[in-house]
Amino acid sequence: MDVQVLRSRVENINTLPTIPGVLKHLSAIIENPKVSLSEISHFVSNDPSLTTKVLKMVNSAVYGFPGRISSVTHAIMLLGLNVVKGLLLGISVFEVMQKAMLGLREHSLGCAVTARLIAQKKGLKEPEEVSVGALLHDIGKVILALEFPAEYESAMNTAQTRGIPIVEAEKTAFPEAHAAVGAWLAQKWRFPRGLVDMIEYHHCPNLSKSASLETAIVHFSDVLVHARGLGFAGDDTVAAVDPAAFELLRFSQDDIKEILRGLEDSIESSEEPWLDT
Amino acid sequence: MARISVDKLEPGMRLLKPVLNKSGMTLLAEGTELSETWIRRIQDMEIESIHVDAPVEPAVPKEEMLEQLDRRFRNVENKPYMGLIKRSVQEHIEEMYR
Repeated sequence: MDVQVLRSRVENINTLPTIPGVLKHLSAIIENPKVSLSEISHFVSNDPSLTTKVLKMVNSAVYGFPGRISSVTHAIMLLGLNVVKGLLLGISVFEVMQKAMLGLREHSLGCAVTARLIAQKKGLKEPEEVSVGALLHDIGKVILALEFPAEYESAMNTAQTRGIPIVEAEKTAFPEAHAAVGAWLAQKWRFPRGLVDMIEYHHCPNLSKSASLETAIVHFSDVLVHARGLGFAGDDTVAAVDPAAFELLRFSQDDIKEILRGLEDSIESSEEPWLDT
Repeated sequence: MARISVDKLEPGMRLLKPVLNKSGMTLLAEGTELSETWIRRIQDMEIESIHVDAPVEPAVPKEEMLEQLDRRFRNVENKPYMGLIKRSVQEHIEEMYR
């Protein structure tokens, strides 16, 4: 498979038969550079089930506003347009995530919670944006697994039999791994560079120029959620943490345990987003 | 903390987490002491379980949880900082069973 062929298949997500309608419509709206806040609100409010899911998500413990956000416009005011765009895509992708890979949704939500907790601990101004980066970091896996099921299954088998991370196994079956695929989509959807970096470099955070701390947070959240064994992301081994990223965060054993306790509390308190199938 | 099924609620139990409706708006605040009336109302709603102040342990036994942890780390234990991360997760798991 040629890398250009792969990229054009991924970028033409709107025409892929395996992608659900909501995600296609949303993708078409979001990729328009002139999209306005009111167009997004309008699209969402015409879809009651999507509205419910967005409000459930922002009011859950995954985000920091339990029980306080009553409308999509309100969410955009509090969280910003990029975060709401990311959440909408994340929620629409969840619909197919379980089909693509059982457990990837728990993994993604776990990373979103962990990244928000760390971003707050580090005093970042927009912890929600880091959280959305973590929520979407594996979006490339969903598209690869849905669009190329046979190749992806062989990659998962390779990861299993050789005991290697799925990202390594993907490279035996595809010209590019899920991180690059996710970044192509993030660019297509006109996400800010920082958010693209969090997705593209979540395995090698030292390559991020515009958001090195944020990307290190997403990377470490991914490692920690794997370490805790929450959900499933295509392999059953923990990948080694990037030493430079860990040194940037400088966490002690107590810090890590505090983050894990926060993650545990969120899982316990937000029944719906974790358990819906 | 315990998440228990709504048909096992008893008066006097205290909510550890707020009870929310489908849009995530608060119906009963955290800390509310359950009366028989509240319990009936909760049982009338489409809620399966809520959080109250009774202790509970995770569903998977501790030994199995720790075994899986060893297995997940088998290839990276000697990599920089992975020992520290593993010890943190291990202590965290042990504290979940206390």
